[in-house]
Amino acid sequence: MVVSHLCLVASPAPQSTADEACLHAFQNELDYVYRTLRRLGTSPSEVDDLAQEVFLALRRCWADYDTSRPLRPFLFGISFRIASAYERKRRREVAFGVVEVGDARPGPDEALQSKQARALVLAALDRIPLPRRAVLVMHDIDDVPVSQVASILDIPLFTVYSRLRKARRELESAIRRLLKEADAR
Amino acid sequence: MSRSQPPLPPDVRALLDHEREIQPLPATVRARALARAHAAVVAGGNRVATPAPAPRTRWAAAAAVFCLLSVAVGASAYQIRAHLATPPSHPPAAAPVQAPPPSVRSAPIAEVAPEAPAPVPPALSRADAARAELRLLRQARAAVAREDYAAALPPIAEHARRFKDGRLTEEREALRVKALASLGRSADARRAAAAFRARFPRSVLLPAVNQMSPSGR
Repeated sequence: MVVSHLCLVASPAPQSTADEACLHAFQNELDYVYRTLRRLGTSPSEVDDLAQEVFLALRRCWADYDTSRPLRPFLFGISFRIASAYERKRRREVAFGVVEVGDARPGPDEALQSKQARALVLAALDRIPLPRRAVLVMHDIDDVPVSQVASILDIPLFTVYSRLRKARRELESAIRRLLKEADAR
Repeated sequence: MSRSQPPLPPDVRALLDHEREIQPLPATVRARALARAHAAVVAGGNRVATPAPAPRTRWAAAAAVFCLLSVAVGASAYQIRAHLATPPSHPPAAAPVQAPPPSVRSAPIAEVAPEAPAPVPPALSRADAARAELRLLRQARAAVAREDYAAALPPIAEHARRFKDGRLTEEREALRVKALASLGRSADARRAAAAFRARFPRSVLLPAVNQMSPSGR
């Protein structure tokens, strides 16, 4: 979908206080939503559209959100479901040979400064299957307790532990492999 | 709880620590995302979300498409046969519809006059007016998207004439700044940007406008 330079937006204020609160929350967490979608494997060209889907889903289930609880895990749950649907679609399209190249990998001579480190982590995350990656991102990057991970992703606690264990192993080996590939270049 | 988990090696953990920090989005991306969210709220719908159809529906849709394709192929074959059977009459090729050459100078800069009444024709209902506004700004937006900035100005001028204080005034003026700046009409763009800032000081499009206007560069 082509994203134009400017999108149309009507001037009047949102219709209800719930809409206003939802819009405000989305505005505050926009950076987080975009980064979460990227961590969950959304390509840069699709992240705008998926972020909008996150917003629309957030708006639909805003009444279910307990405002006394942190918003990010709630947003993560929405982002995960949308990213999963996107990945299923992408996997079908891969059958026709459309494989999107990921972020720039760190070059061999580049020091692993913050930007390169993030690119490396993103590339490594991309090699972990989405269900395990989601657990790892939530727990090891967003610092969400495992019990809450289980609740947000709607999976048993035991499954969270086993996915986390595997995801950590996969992350480590992906990082080592990427670094080795970078050194070999 | 994670005591039963093998800890991550310190170097991997250090890399993850870099990823914890969420970098702020570029102002234009942020403005675009918020504008779209705002538009979705105002529209009251969820057209942007297009959930994947259920597998059964997909198969049914695929079957329907296959049937239609078969009919289309059959019809085409029949037409080709009929065409070959009769001498060609060389019908004139349909020329692409060309918009009249836009006059770059024809779009005046909108004056800031918030107290002026919106000159919506009385014949238009509110919904019709909203649709007409949207149609005009879609034309302008499409022209900007294909970088034909001169072609964006006539629909912008038309919108300003018909809907001076319409629902999409904010977007019209942002598009105007974009078009003028991209056409190299720096003074006009600067004036349009100043008018925009004065009129919409809290607009989500303001960062984008500031970036476009020559004074912001």
